Amino acid sequence: APAVHAQPAPMVLKMQTSWPSSDIWMTFAQQYVDRVEAMSGGRLKIDLLPAGAVVAAFQVLDGVNDGVIDIAHSVPVYWYGKNKAASLFGTGPVFGGSATTMLSWYYAGGGQEFYRELTQDVMGLDIVGRLGFPMPAQPFGWFKKQVNAVSDIEGLKYRTVGLAADLLQSMGMSVAQLPGGEIVPAMERGVIDAFEFNNPSSDMRFGAQDVAKNYYLSSYHQASESFEFLFNKGLLEDMDPDLQAILLHSVEAASTSNTALAMDNYSADLQKLQDEGVEVHRTSKDILAAQLEAWDKLIPTLEEDSFMKRVLDSQRAWVERVTYYELMNSPDYQLAYEHYFPGKLKL
Amino acid sequence: MIDAHVALMMLGIFIILVFLGFPVAFTLMALGIGFGYYAYFDDGRMWRAFNRLAEDSDTLTSAITWFEGAFNNRIFDLFINQTYTVMSNEVLTAVPLFLFMGYIVERSNIVNRLFSTLNVAARNIPGSLGVAALVTCALFATATGIVGAVVTLMGMLALPAMLKARYDKSFAAGIICAGGTLGILIPPSIMLIVYAAASGVSIVRLYAGALLPGLTLVGLYLLYIVCRSMLQPKAAPRPTKEEVPEVPLPKVLWMLATSFFPLAFLILSVLGSILFGLATPTEAASIGALGGIILAASYRALTFDRLRESVYLTVRTSAMVCWLFVGSYTFSSVFSYLGGEHVISEFVSGLDLTPLQFLLLAQLIIFLLGWPLEWSEIIIIFVPIFLPLLPLFDIDPLFFGILVALNLQTSFLTPPMAMSAYYLKGVAPPGILLTDIFKGIMPFLFMVIVSMVLMYTFPQIVFHLPDLFYGAR
Amino acid sequence: MIRFIEFADKLSAWFGKAFGWLIILMTLGMSYEVASRYLFNAPTTWSLDVSFIMYGTMFMMGGAYTLSRGGHVRGDFLYRLWKPRTQGMVDLVLYLFFFFPGVIALIFSGWKYAARSWGYGEVSVNSPAGVPIFQFKAVIVAAGILLFIQGIAQVMRCIMCIREGYWRNAEDDVQETEELLMKQGVAKSDGS
Ligand code: NA
Ligand code: NA
Repeated sequence: APAVHAQPAPMVLKMQTSWPSSDIWMTFAQQYVDRVEAMSGGRLKIDLLPAGAVVAAFQVLDGVNDGVIDIAHSVPVYWYGKNKAASLFGTGPVFGGSATTMLSWYYAGGGQEFYRELTQDVMGLDIVGRLGFPMPAQPFGWFKKQVNAVSDIEGLKYRTVGLAADLLQSMGMSVAQLPGGEIVPAMERGVIDAFEFNNPSSDMRFGAQDVAKNYYLSSYHQASESFEFLFNKGLLEDMDPDLQAILLHSVEAASTSNTALAMDNYSADLQKLQDEGVEVHRTSKDILAAQLEAWDKLIPTLEEDSFMKRVLDSQRAWVERVTYYELMNSPDYQLAYEHYFPGKLKL
Repeated sequence: MIDAHVALMMLGIFIILVFLGFPVAFTLMALGIGFGYYAYFDDGRMWRAFNRLAEDSDTLTSAITWFEGAFNNRIFDLFINQTYTVMSNEVLTAVPLFLFMGYIVERSNIVNRLFSTLNVAARNIPGSLGVAALVTCALFATATGIVGAVVTLMGMLALPAMLKARYDKSFAAGIICAGGTLGILIPPSIMLIVYAAASGVSIVRLYAGALLPGLTLVGLYLLYIVCRSMLQPKAAPRPTKEEVPEVPLPKVLWMLATSFFPLAFLILSVLGSILFGLATPTEAASIGALGGIILAASYRALTFDRLRESVYLTVRTSAMVCWLFVGSYTFSSVFSYLGGEHVISEFVSGLDLTPLQFLLLAQLIIFLLGWPLEWSEIIIIFVPIFLPLLPLFDIDPLFFGILVALNLQTSFLTPPMAMSAYYLKGVAPPGILLTDIFKGIMPFLFMVIVSMVLMYTFPQIVFHLPDLFYGAR
Repeated sequence: MIRFIEFADKLSAWFGKAFGWLIILMTLGMSYEVASRYLFNAPTTWSLDVSFIMYGTMFMMGGAYTLSRGGHVRGDFLYRLWKPRTQGMVDLVLYLFFFFPGVIALIFSGWKYAARSWGYGEVSVNSPAGVPIFQFKAVIVAAGILLFIQGIAQVMRCIMCIREGYWRNAEDDVQETEELLMKQGVAKSDGS
């Protein structure tokens, strides 16, 4: 009789995100899951769960550390209450580098070792982390009325996260940090009266356009973020080396497919929002300049911490060299766009 | 045995334990942890440190490491995580504040003023005493948000007054029981906050949604009182001048201005600031509590003893509600981890029900649960079992929540555990029998059912205000 | 045993009541936030954090107090028909199997959770005000310890009840209006 190859039961891992099930980022996380399952030839299976399925959105780090969940799909800024340095991995000061510049710093400029030092040595966590998907710069967000000057945003109760919260607080806003799924209910309850989350698709899916009509693109508050994948360290180390490699390298693989998905969806949804009557603006030069000044004031306070100082020095040196090359080398894309689609851009 | 069967066993054991009368919060915690230990049992993970231990380590070290391994089950971390999630739940922060407001208002001597004023103001309406009693109940129940105090206070105040005016005793008792139960429906109801926390439905949408159904029910009650008084004057005779003195209009207005309007204003400002997004429910509740304190002080009813009592009762009732959440969060996450939720939804979708049949079945079960259980247990533990089924039948959880709030009105009013009736019986004059009370309640129960049918036929009664204030979903 | 029960009742009540006063702070704090926001256009940065810290601390620390006064909700429609001795026996078994595991987990796992947070000096991420929350996580452990002590007292209560045939309840305390009025009502009709 022909030998029947008994397929061993797959190892099932639980992966929880910090996003509500309706967020497009669940699809981004699914791309990661698909890659892991395909590459492992069925030896790994991942149960993908939305925020709150096991632990709350902001508690995924505790969850992975304790092994309540095996993998988390989140952003470092969500746990910056445990250590402020977390927000340097994606939501730090903008020296001029994009998310791609900073993700390159993570993989090639020493960022990954800093991250490991922070989580494992400084904080003693039982986790391994990886960053992936360089996010497009995050819009300044959603406002009920037009905001043009800095004085227009003073006193507004605004939702953002991480150092961006410190930044906008110093510009006179009153800042609350909430998970994405709680933004619209918070607007309805009056907890906040303006907010940013991340991108046109996510924003549209949780109904931003129902509670505010002015959408401001371009901002320095979070211009270089990426996703964070958290793995339980003990679990990872007990796995076969090839499966470990699949779990870790799939972060890099999903990064490219995530970028494509983002470009397609974010742009289409921006148009949809405009069709639905949302007024899309670019954030005023006045506010952008004030943001840079606010960063100027914030950076020295961060640098009082020796670990943060080392990270910031490393990032600054990286941006100074790399972005010089990027900007010097980059052709004027705007010129080409105007050439082929004249009169469309309103910058 | 597959895990889904284990989940059903967990639910079964839970129900048995509830029947044995052990405090439910701890039963839930224990079952969550016990079954969670099974669900998350993972010897590779739990005894990883033990397995890595070198062969030559001494017996004591290995024993300790093994023992630590036994407690290295992730259920314990999950349990603490869920506990913290309840502790940091923003929606529930409004619960102690609304309770506090209620306790303060209860002790502010306002009921007497309110009832005598409304009596005078309504004196020319048929069934005036009954109308005044119902409006007092409704307003007071709305401000205090829970049953109990309203029924007993009114039972001591309005019931003797109505009996003295030769009201039919069942009719009089029914009015107080039904009116006193309205607090769990009309916002700012504490029950709706708890439903919001259990279901994830926005609390402000729930409040907006409950407003018209609440007013509809009050309207139906009033309609019944007035019509019955006109058709059967013997049941509700016009009060004599000695019973309700004739008071000149300016004096009536003054009485209204000092008793009715301050409380009405307090409730409206709390509710208005929530609905118009001027304040979060928590902030509005704090304003309400502060307003209640000021109101009580202005009636010279605020003593340190009363404040202290209110504080202590607030902490006890908050602990009662919130510890239930601590238990149920852990219980239900283990239950769904074991696939319990899935098996129930498979079973229900296999029944091939129409949405109406499902709705009727669900409401019937909730009605029956209302016999042995209190509203807090029903909302926190049993309603979440129905919630994942709602999408199967395309039923909005907001709509479902309001129906449940209406339904629970009945559970306070029907035997065997008709709390409203028992409270009233406890303070009523000896001549009033429980059967009199139940007889009086029947027509009001009918009105509740009428309002549920109305809501089902015209869902706009629920959706109109939330859609208007916050946009259609 | 009686001494211990009294001690536990007093301890639980003291902590529950002491932390109950947080409701006043909460009322004033949230009202201040609203006033500050609308009168001075200066919303506070701390109100959200402070509100849930106070709420969470209050109900957690009130758990043992509520237990000592029999305030935790129970499905008692059968229970209250039984003789006290039967109640005591059932309760005794259920306390041992269904009370202590959860409470001990609160203490030990809560300790692990709180100690870690304490180690980072964790602050809330809700606002840049950086309101500390590590002490708030320690409340889990404190609440667990209070419940554990009260639980032992409850077990002793059960044993005494089985022996004596009646419950030794905690001494009189504040009561709900309806309980109070109903008691008065009963007293009145007994008198007449
Ligand atoms: Na953002
Ligand atoms: Na009932």
